[in-house]
Amino acid sequence: MKATIYSPPSLHHACGSNPAVQNRPQLPFPVQMPVAYSQSHVKLAVAGYVGDGRVVATLLKNHRRYHFDSDLEKALNRVDFFRIFHTMSLRYGFDHFGILQLGNEGDACMLTNRLALHDLPSGLAEEYDKRHRFGDSVVFKSLHTSSIPSIWKADDPHLGNGSNLLDQLGFDMLMCVPVTGINGARYAVLFLGDGEDMDQQAHFALCYDAVCAFDYFYRLVLSNKAGLGLTPRETEILRWISHGKTASEIALIVSVSEHTVNSHTATILKKLDVVNRTQMVAKAIREQIIQ
Amino acid sequence: MMPDPQPIHILLVDDDPAENLIMRGVMKKVSSAEIHLHYCETIDDALDFIKSGKPVSMVLMDNRLQPQADFRETVPAMRQQGFIGPIGVISSSLADPYFQKFEEYGVDFRIDKAELDPTAIEFILREYVTKS
Repeated sequence: MKATIYSPPSLHHACGSNPAVQNRPQLPFPVQMPVAYSQSHVKLAVAGYVGDGRVVATLLKNHRRYHFDSDLEKALNRVDFFRIFHTMSLRYGFDHFGILQLGNEGDACMLTNRLALHDLPSGLAEEYDKRHRFGDSVVFKSLHTSSIPSIWKADDPHLGNGSNLLDQLGFDMLMCVPVTGINGARYAVLFLGDGEDMDQQAHFALCYDAVCAFDYFYRLVLSNKAGLGLTPRETEILRWISHGKTASEIALIVSVSEHTVNSHTATILKKLDVVNRTQMVAKAIREQIIQ
Repeated sequence: MMPDPQPIHILLVDDDPAENLIMRGVMKKVSSAEIHLHYCETIDDALDFIKSGKPVSMVLMDNRLQPQADFRETVPAMRQQGFIGPIGVISSSLADPYFQKFEEYGVDFRIDKAELDPTAIEFILREYVTKS
């Protein structure tokens, strides 16, 4: 039997003039319906596993990604996203990029701790943190007051008073694109360089590209994967951990690098929502993931 | 005073010796680390290099090596030799579908030759070598 799903009254404003929708009987109470169910005649973005066990969203063509489509679909790890953002920054005349985590403005914050991915020269962020307080910079504060993309120049008069981030980092121009993860987590994609300015079209295009690339980066790398199932490789590594093997021993056994083993271990910790290997194994046994 | 950082030993495996010269030039521009670049022209030479016990912090492997091997054969062979450091595959095209499963073959990352500039090298070293 097919279930009839009625649009909750709160959604009616979005239904336009479609008479079929307008004539539906209304429920006397609002119903929070998952989008994929409430509009099941449309194939919407859904999460699913691909062959290698990654959880990815199947996006529609409506999610226009233009020339990045192929690169983003094939991206797998941090190096891939480094390549994508690095190429993006060069294409638009910038030298470097950084993906900055926002939120908790009041916390004493350091640039190094906030950068989720970047291609800044080695040691630059560390040197900056030794001398300055990132939380005091006008740029950082402004990212917490508005989500409109911004462009900053080293000679902007209001950047003075010892908080001129650009001057302190040694660049002439900075572009900030505030972005959010699918769960609402706030970040900003920064582009740094020595250009003089950028025109409106390039500005719009770079904002769009940054939003698209960040969406993939967040879903594949940054998102908390708590509650998601383990891939066969992760289960295998978990089993070896439960047998007391070290990362380097597991790397030898399963023919991957120690880095890959550590990376899988970090993902297992996230997925099982545990804090260390002991709790990981205990929970895995309790939940009968391993015997 | 901070002790001098350990030198980083990168093994380049590529059947085109010109790539060795190009890569040597790129590595010289990396200022944040002391890099020693070692070069092998064939996978057999690379396996011997690993067997010799010389230090190798990371391997950069050309995807296709003569006569017909690609990373699906070469990287597992390196792993069989007991190498558990990072291995990056260099390819000018990442389009082949099997690149999507590179981890299953023991590969850590893939990168296009044209993208291997000093900034990329620094990033990769931060991610895979100096962090650990």
